[in-house]
Amino acid sequence: MNPPSPAKRITLRADHIAGAFFVAAGLAVIALSGDLPTGQLSMPGAGFLPEIVAVLIIVLGASLFLRAHESPAFASIAWDDGPHAGKVILVTAAAIVLYVKLGFIVTMVLMLMTLLTVIERKNVPRALLYSVAVAGGIYVIFVYVLRSPLPTGILGHW
Amino acid sequence: MEDTLLSLAHGFGIAFQPGNLWYAFIGCLVGTLVGVLPGIGPLSGISILLPVTFGLNATEAVIMLAGIYYGSQYGGSTTSILMRIPGEASSVMTCIDGNAMAKKGRAGAALCIAAVGSFTAGTFGILMLTLIAPPLAAIALKFGPPEYTALLIMGLIFLAYMSSTSLVRTLLMACLGLMLGMIGIDNMTGHFRYSFDFAELGDGIGIVPVAVGLFGLGEILATPSHKVRGEVITPKYRELLPTRAEWRAAYWPIARGSVLGFVIGIIPGSAHIISSFLSYALERRISKNPEEFGKGAVAGVAGPESANNSASTGAFVPMLSLGIPTGPITAVLIGALMIHGVPAGPQLVTEHRDLFWGFVASMYVGNLMLLLLNLPLVGLFVSVLRIPYGYLYPLIIMFCIVGVYEVNHSIVDVWIMLIMGMLGYALRKFDFDPAPLVLGLVIAPIFEQSLRQSLIMSNGNYLIFFNRPFSAALMAICIVLLGLSALAYFLKRKDWRAKLAAAEAGEPGA
Repeated sequence: MNPPSPAKRITLRADHIAGAFFVAAGLAVIALSGDLPTGQLSMPGAGFLPEIVAVLIIVLGASLFLRAHESPAFASIAWDDGPHAGKVILVTAAAIVLYVKLGFIVTMVLMLMTLLTVIERKNVPRALLYSVAVAGGIYVIFVYVLRSPLPTGILGHW
Repeated sequence: MEDTLLSLAHGFGIAFQPGNLWYAFIGCLVGTLVGVLPGIGPLSGISILLPVTFGLNATEAVIMLAGIYYGSQYGGSTTSILMRIPGEASSVMTCIDGNAMAKKGRAGAALCIAAVGSFTAGTFGILMLTLIAPPLAAIALKFGPPEYTALLIMGLIFLAYMSSTSLVRTLLMACLGLMLGMIGIDNMTGHFRYSFDFAELGDGIGIVPVAVGLFGLGEILATPSHKVRGEVITPKYRELLPTRAEWRAAYWPIARGSVLGFVIGIIPGSAHIISSFLSYALERRISKNPEEFGKGAVAGVAGPESANNSASTGAFVPMLSLGIPTGPITAVLIGALMIHGVPAGPQLVTEHRDLFWGFVASMYVGNLMLLLLNLPLVGLFVSVLRIPYGYLYPLIIMFCIVGVYEVNHSIVDVWIMLIMGMLGYALRKFDFDPAPLVLGLVIAPIFEQSLRQSLIMSNGNYLIFFNRPFSAALMAICIVLLGLSALAYFLKRKDWRAKLAAAEAGEPGA
């Protein structure tokens, strides 16, 4: 028996990854559903539908995995927007951490400034003016026009 | 019929109240802006602005949110025609001939045809909604849990069948949505499910953080600012009116698009997107000059623009009369009604007549407003398009955070939004459409309850879904749809969905 030629080597496809992820997710749901009673068909319990859906996820995930040859190669997926997305995620996560502590205005001015100057390389005075005007304007609209309170944080109520 | 007309007249009395007129106007204006701006679609627009409606009554809230939805269908055409960037997914087809017309100096005429087509189709859609929704709601009042279960299963399978991605991918997304929808306290037994000791998860995962994350933040993560470039063609006001020949070329495509769009709108799926693709394909096929398509054919603008507006109105029929969302946008609107303590479905038509008829009448008014708003204010929308995306997306992220936080004043919801944004980004990379996930999330509680009640009623016999005539008919439709999909797969034949996906990807010969 001849060893497989390099051309016949299995290429890792996008749906190999996606299918494996869904199979793992379905198995994780079943593992986490341990305490939930499935009940009987005549009286289904809290775990009844989650288990059916988890099995469906596993079956569909496996089907995706098995038909992965129809999907593009994993290496062909363009991740060139990844660094930008990563930075935006980090800045957004920091804003969420600070949102209640520092309040809406301070957090949003900081977030807008960081996105505009660090990621978008915009002119600093213009970015500052834009950030303060936008955050202040939205605060006024929400609090005074829509009467929907926003966190004030370190600035206190005013 | 007489009763319908009397109710509609009563609805106009409600729609013309100053407050309702004002919120219809705000909804239409914001909707147009949402449609105009690339990177923010109607779903994220509605989700982000949902908290703004908390201080309003239910009628004002739903009038404003629906205005954003159908307003965005109008606005999407502006960006497509002037920049060749679809402001909104359903405007993809308008880019082709709309922008070609603009390059030939007919930008104004293309915008006018798109606006008149949208108005005609929108009005046709509302007329049909007025006639169909009340009798459908009367029938739905006789539905029991088995009928609702069958209807929801059919909705999911229809969605998967209509989707331009594969059946397996769509069902996977719907299942993931169902799974997320089951997090929290089980309504029937009181068990906590998958809440991992987070008190906030006891009430389940809200639709707003999921929708805003997947469609708002997810879209921003997948769109780096350096990739959003485009030249805006500024239309001249004196060229705003089409010539007689252009009007003649637009009449029938508008009529066909209106009917086609409404029919597709009632069926679950991303109807307004699919309808514009099908309308474009139909117009090209029956045209005497198919070679003009792609080079500025009037029918290539009039048909798809009419179809997507009619479809967005058609989607309200099952939402209002059955309480069943046909897509993620109607799912969020149902969520909005629930937040205001109003159940969507047959009870809405029978027990909340003021809201239902006021809403229907407001759509007639809103469509007229949009026609008057879109053409004279085209200069304003062109200046909005000139705002660099690098300044725009930080503003959208801010709205995402504020919008999600304001729903429950919960920071956990904002974290969920961020996680969903990352998931949305990954799903796009792996070619999954996140829309069925939102639909699954919304229908999960109704589906689970009706399925379990059906099984209790039948003492555990699954045949209950086949013993009752209406649910049996629905289940038969499900089997046929699954059979058709299987047939296309085994025969390796390109069915209409594969052709649609190819057309969407811009493949030749599709």
